[in-house]
Amino acid sequence: MSDTSLIGSTTEDMNAIAEKILEQAISSDKSIEIDSVTVSFKTDKGVYTAVKDISLSVNKGEIISLIGHSGCGKSTLMGTISGMVKPTSGEVTANGKKVSAPGPDRGIVFQNYSLLPWLTVYENIYVAVDSALNQKTKKEKVTLVETNLKMVNLWEHKDKLPGQLSGGMKQRVAIARAFAINPEILLLDEPFGALDALTKSAMHVELLKLWNISHREKTIVMVTHDIEEAIFLSDRVVVMNNGPQATIKEIVNVPLPRPRNKKDIVHDPVYMTIHDKLLSLLVDKFSIND
Amino acid sequence: MKTSFSIKSVLPVLYFITGMVILGGIWALVSKLTKNELPNPQTTWLVFKEVMHKPFQNDPDYKGIGTKLLSSLGRVGIGFGLGSLVAIPFGLLMGSSKIAMKIINPIVQILKPVSPLAWFPLGLAIFQDSPKASIFMIFICSVWPTLINTAFGAANVPQDHKNVSKAFGFSKSKYLTKILLPFSLPHIITGLKLSIGVAWMVIVAGEMLSGGQGLGYFVWEEGFNGGSTAKILVAIIIIGIVGSILDKCFTWLQTRFSYTA
Repeated sequence: MSDTSLIGSTTEDMNAIAEKILEQAISSDKSIEIDSVTVSFKTDKGVYTAVKDISLSVNKGEIISLIGHSGCGKSTLMGTISGMVKPTSGEVTANGKKVSAPGPDRGIVFQNYSLLPWLTVYENIYVAVDSALNQKTKKEKVTLVETNLKMVNLWEHKDKLPGQLSGGMKQRVAIARAFAINPEILLLDEPFGALDALTKSAMHVELLKLWNISHREKTIVMVTHDIEEAIFLSDRVVVMNNGPQATIKEIVNVPLPRPRNKKDIVHDPVYMTIHDKLLSLLVDKFSIND
Repeated sequence: MKTSFSIKSVLPVLYFITGMVILGGIWALVSKLTKNELPNPQTTWLVFKEVMHKPFQNDPDYKGIGTKLLSSLGRVGIGFGLGSLVAIPFGLLMGSSKIAMKIINPIVQILKPVSPLAWFPLGLAIFQDSPKASIFMIFICSVWPTLINTAFGAANVPQDHKNVSKAFGFSKSKYLTKILLPFSLPHIITGLKLSIGVAWMVIVAGEMLSGGQGLGYFVWEEGFNGGSTAKILVAIIIIGIVGSILDKCFTWLQTRFSYTA
């Protein structure tokens, strides 16, 4: 028993051990730590501060949504997690490491799919896997591409070019690409914004399916402006103030049990309360004054 | 069974024929007005058939029109090929680096407007050989359009593609082969198409200066000096047709390598 090893050790040792265990417990729980981050850009009209002094921590395996009006800096904040945007002050820690550049531990699904139009579906994923996981053997890479394409049911379309695919299929390729590099954190920037309502619903289910397959261990941060989408997918919804100098207005918990059913959930009183709350946070006036 | 022969597929042919008939009409009219100083289409056709007799004859004292055409094409090919080999890498460099752009662009702006023919005597002085001077001239004039278009393409790689490269940690060589080159390719081909057009125009002028070989020599020596205006016309037709075939080839390449996301 490990307990026996504690016998005879001094209080000082005990304290050190306890601290270490506590630290490990905390750091293994925390997936993303945003610490008073401010992002400013230099423009022709002077300095523009997109987000100001934002702190937020996200637990491992949590799905959170950043919601707010267009231009409220939610994509900028997400950029600081991916490493695409450098904070002017403050810092972001992801998977226990300070973020300084994009890395394969954080998979990104872009707003407009961002597939390379001259590469086939297969090649688009392979090239990403080949770059991000360059220490793996060719055989392992091929297997990764194959499993992930099959997971999103696009294996039979693997030789098509992105131009030959529908919007929903393109987004599935983009998601498969992000999952293929097996990141601990998945960052989705308005991933379903360009899709029609039916395709969108199907994609939500698809995303949760993939999250379940990976044992709900992947942390997902999603930028959206769709309230229903945010509630259906997330554990917490982060509502942002309007920019410039955007801050977090409120963080709304979504205590709905999983798995969630799209049809039933909308009649759940908890869902309705959250929906109303988010709506009132995002829209100031419900009625139109004549 | 439905016939594969429809009005729609015939229309382009009809338009083409109409255009040719109009051209032939104007030609015949001008020929009539100049009292056959400009040979009419019928006379030219007879000369054309005569010229096309044994086109690939390659005797030391007489070379057929086909042989001359091939020698012209050969020189264009070498000059254009070398020019492209220089233009594409430098264009990619200019498009990718603002510093390279600022250094190379002034050079291009000064040298580009120089008439290609002005390079011929320089080439002659350097190489002491007129075919090599022609190749040199073609080389210089086919660099510019490809260089400029390649640089334009490379400078406009969409941020989306760059983001993919950043997010998945593409190496420099992967960025070059999977993003920069494929994105720039349609622009490069546009440049090549313009370059081959210029090169083909310039070769005839060059061969008139250099003499001895090619279609330009045929126009000058057998046509003008030989007193056969019809031969000049035949040469013009051949030059035009070959030029448009070259253009078509690059247009085809352009559509082949254009992608929509």
